[in-house]
Amino acid sequence: MSVDNNAVKSAIREKLIAIASSLDADASGISDEDIIPATGLVDSAGILELVVWFEKTYELTLSQEEINIDNLGSINAMAAFLATKKSAA
Amino acid sequence: MAYPLHTPRVNNNDDHVQIIELSVKEGDFVKQGQVVAAVETDKAIVEVESDRDAYVLKIMSAVDAQAAVGSVLMWLGDSQDEKVTETVATPATDKAASNALLQQPTAKARALIKKHNLDIASIPCAGERLGVGDVEAYLLKAGSGTPRQMATMPAETIDKIPEVAGSLQNLSPEGRGMVATVSWHRDQAAHGYLEMEYDPEPWDSYAKAYASENKLMLSPMLPLLAYQLVRLAAENPRLNGTIVNGQRYQYEPINLGFTVQADQTLYLTVIREAQNLSPQEFIEALGGIQRLAMAHKLKPEQMTGATLSFSSMARWNVSRHIPLLPPHTSIMIAHAAPRGSNRAVLGASYDHRLLTGFDVVQVLQALVKKPA
Repeated sequence: MSVDNNAVKSAIREKLIAIASSLDADASGISDEDIIPATGLVDSAGILELVVWFEKTYELTLSQEEINIDNLGSINAMAAFLATKKSAA
Repeated sequence: MAYPLHTPRVNNNDDHVQIIELSVKEGDFVKQGQVVAAVETDKAIVEVESDRDAYVLKIMSAVDAQAAVGSVLMWLGDSQDEKVTETVATPATDKAASNALLQQPTAKARALIKKHNLDIASIPCAGERLGVGDVEAYLLKAGSGTPRQMATMPAETIDKIPEVAGSLQNLSPEGRGMVATVSWHRDQAAHGYLEMEYDPEPWDSYAKAYASENKLMLSPMLPLLAYQLVRLAAENPRLNGTIVNGQRYQYEPINLGFTVQADQTLYLTVIREAQNLSPQEFIEALGGIQRLAMAHKLKPEQMTGATLSFSSMARWNVSRHIPLLPPHTSIMIAHAAPRGSNRAVLGASYDHRLLTGFDVVQVLQALVKKPA
């Protein structure tokens, strides 16, 4: 199964901006390469919210070990990880 | 002369009431103001008093029967041989029926039995009639089994419907849990609260290094703080207990409760047997259960049975929050870290029946020190 990489990145960015906004932070300037936790725009609970949204939106089931910087640390990483998971499905 | 004693109206909406107690039998002499019966509707129980000094000539209803408001409940007379003109079947005239009357619970006992949904047959009766004391003794004994039984006892209900227009809504399971928590905290715990400011920088640095080393997405600082609490409870079991009927109840497992706000729902997620986990296992277990909470997919055992707890409202930028103790726990740690203040706060709600302020200060001092 293939996914539209640009659409995925756009959706992730939109969700990230919404979560940051709920914390009175502006994430509109975040780049695809920025390491999300390092930006300080969202806290752990916010990242958790992003991960739960990611799983639900793209019908993924992630193991706890898969939730790491390599797989989900940036918008690019999340989109690439999703493409890998879907191609393996 | 015979005088009718009428069934009273209890409220405007009910034209019938249930007879829940007959305190007299035919032939008895009653004084003015003496309670002769009790009647009930869905909203209230009312005792019926004799309006004169008189003999009970004829009882026109029976316990558990529905009686129309205004109907004759019983006939009273100046002497025992007064004629009663109304001919209505009399339910409780023979000796067996009179004995059965004596074995009925009192009105207040019956109300308590109903409130707690108890089986009358299982409640020992100390005297001729089952009284409130019998029911209370039974409840106390039932509550001594395990603390969980006490925790699931229904919270006190508000009997009176407000006069302002409105409607009753069912609570969600989480809402009912909150009612139970608040009621236990209010009715049982001797609540104390202490807090301590600390410099968060050493803990932040430690957590960042830990996250970097293990490539973690989520900051492990709060999980590591909570894990530190577990280690302290393992060293000091008094943190991991409660009071039941005047005795300390020592928990064997350390089940750590950790609050998670998921949309509009506040969960107290629970990591069971936390004392058996390594720091990394604890972080992973907590991360997993937090994800389940966020997705509203927790199982009952993942949100019940906490023996001590941890909560943080740092993300909401509050400077202080004083948490309510979950039922049958002795301590809950509260973390706050106001943005831009270069300070953080660790507070503790505690049950003063088990822990002193000095005990709690020692816990807070140990928590603010980052792990070596």
